[in-house]
Amino acid sequence: MAQKEIIKMTNEVFEEAFEIESQKLTPEANIFNDLGLDSLDVVDLVVALQKKFGVQIRNDERVRNIRTLGDIYGFIDALGEENKLSLPREN
Amino acid sequence: MQLKRVVISGVGSVSPLGLDVASLLAAIENRQSAVKRMLGWERYRGLRSLVAAPAELANEKEIPRQSRRSMGRMSIFSVQASKQALADSGISESLISSGRMGCIIGSTMGGAESISEAFEIMLPERDLSQLTSMKFFQCLSHTAAMNVAQYLGIKGCVLATSAACASALQAIGAGYDLIRLGKQDAILCGGAEELHPIVTGSFDIIFATSSSYNDNPSKTPRPFDVSRDGLVCGEGAGIVFLEERELALKRGAKIYAEIIGYNTCGSGVHISQSSASAMRQCISEALKSANIKPTDVDYINAHATATIQGDQEEAQAIRNIFGDDVPVSSLKGYFGHTLGASGAIELIVSLAMMQKGQIYPTFNLEKVGDDCRGIFHVQEKLNRDISILVKNCFAFGGINAALVCRKE
Repeated sequence: MAQKEIIKMTNEVFEEAFEIESQKLTPEANIFNDLGLDSLDVVDLVVALQKKFGVQIRNDERVRNIRTLGDIYGFIDALGEENKLSLPREN
Repeated sequence: MQLKRVVISGVGSVSPLGLDVASLLAAIENRQSAVKRMLGWERYRGLRSLVAAPAELANEKEIPRQSRRSMGRMSIFSVQASKQALADSGISESLISSGRMGCIIGSTMGGAESISEAFEIMLPERDLSQLTSMKFFQCLSHTAAMNVAQYLGIKGCVLATSAACASALQAIGAGYDLIRLGKQDAILCGGAEELHPIVTGSFDIIFATSSSYNDNPSKTPRPFDVSRDGLVCGEGAGIVFLEERELALKRGAKIYAEIIGYNTCGSGVHISQSSASAMRQCISEALKSANIKPTDVDYINAHATATIQGDQEEAQAIRNIFGDDVPVSSLKGYFGHTLGASGAIELIVSLAMMQKGQIYPTFNLEKVGDDCRGIFHVQEKLNRDISILVKNCFAFGGINAALVCRKE
């Protein structure tokens, strides 16, 4: 999956599920300090990403290391390299 | 020990007839019905009743996402009604987080929509991985009380009474007791409920719902009427601000009424069938606790949901205590049965009647059923000074509650 598409779809999750304005969605934005998520939101972020990208990541240890939006783009990209992404499901 | 006195000094509601108390009262004045035929309910096999009284979900984004994420419809309604009640009371912000103010909001269960969604997500594949963390907080039985307390920063007593249609009145009764005992100075009390086919369905499978008026929704429910055929579910939230009387007087608060009596009791007879004798006992004990006689009562706001058996039993209980001397009306013909919220929303409308000296009639009561005769049914708007009113709520599980209020 193209990086551009990963960024677009990830940002959609933040806009739709967490009501964050698009201009705040930069790769260096810290999802806790800059975007205001907390530990419960991360649970729901995982559910939303699973749905968006058709993937199971609930038990993936790499989720624990995510701090920035860029970390998520990289994580999704890596999942693609591992052929773990299914066809994206439209909401 | 000298018990404190308790007054109602603020009100708020979101109901099928509007987003606040003013719109609710205006709609009743105009004899509007909030009952509609529900689009899409036909797809539920076996559901006979296709009518309901939905409330509008509006302006919810005024609640920040971080607070709103754990709220289903009923919690949002509760927050909105609580904010209205606090603004109406005019109390200072400092009381809210002082630990001397509490929050008691009842409901039949947690958010029906969220409960239904959680099962829909989880059960087909027995898969929990798509469940969000927030579903749990929306499904909890104390979701409304918890969310209101968290949103407003209330640090006093937080409780959720759960007694189906008596939930709100039990919440007000519990708040009354806590303030009387001096344990709290003020409490936001009331109830909330959320409309969903699974809620109507739970009444429908035991033939307690109205099903003959699907094509003529404004004609149902019909409390005490000869052609009544069951209840119609509604939704919303009603919140009253209870305050220790001396504190209210000291700050010059607008006082709607003083609560002077309350009783709640079980019937010990049957889980779904109403019992006139248990209702009579409940009302009599409430009058006794208020130290008044039946002849002192000027108005009874009936529970009367328009079920065949419930209305008959309530009419009998009222007849036994009051004869046909005291005006009686039910508000459910206007906006259905808001279940866990009904005790509070209907009390708020009753307090408005007390203020105006005017009793709203029972909407859709055209010909009194033979089994409901012998009490003073209000069928046209009635000008009447109301010094003392009684509010009844009777719930599944044989739960009865009655509250007595006196004009200040």
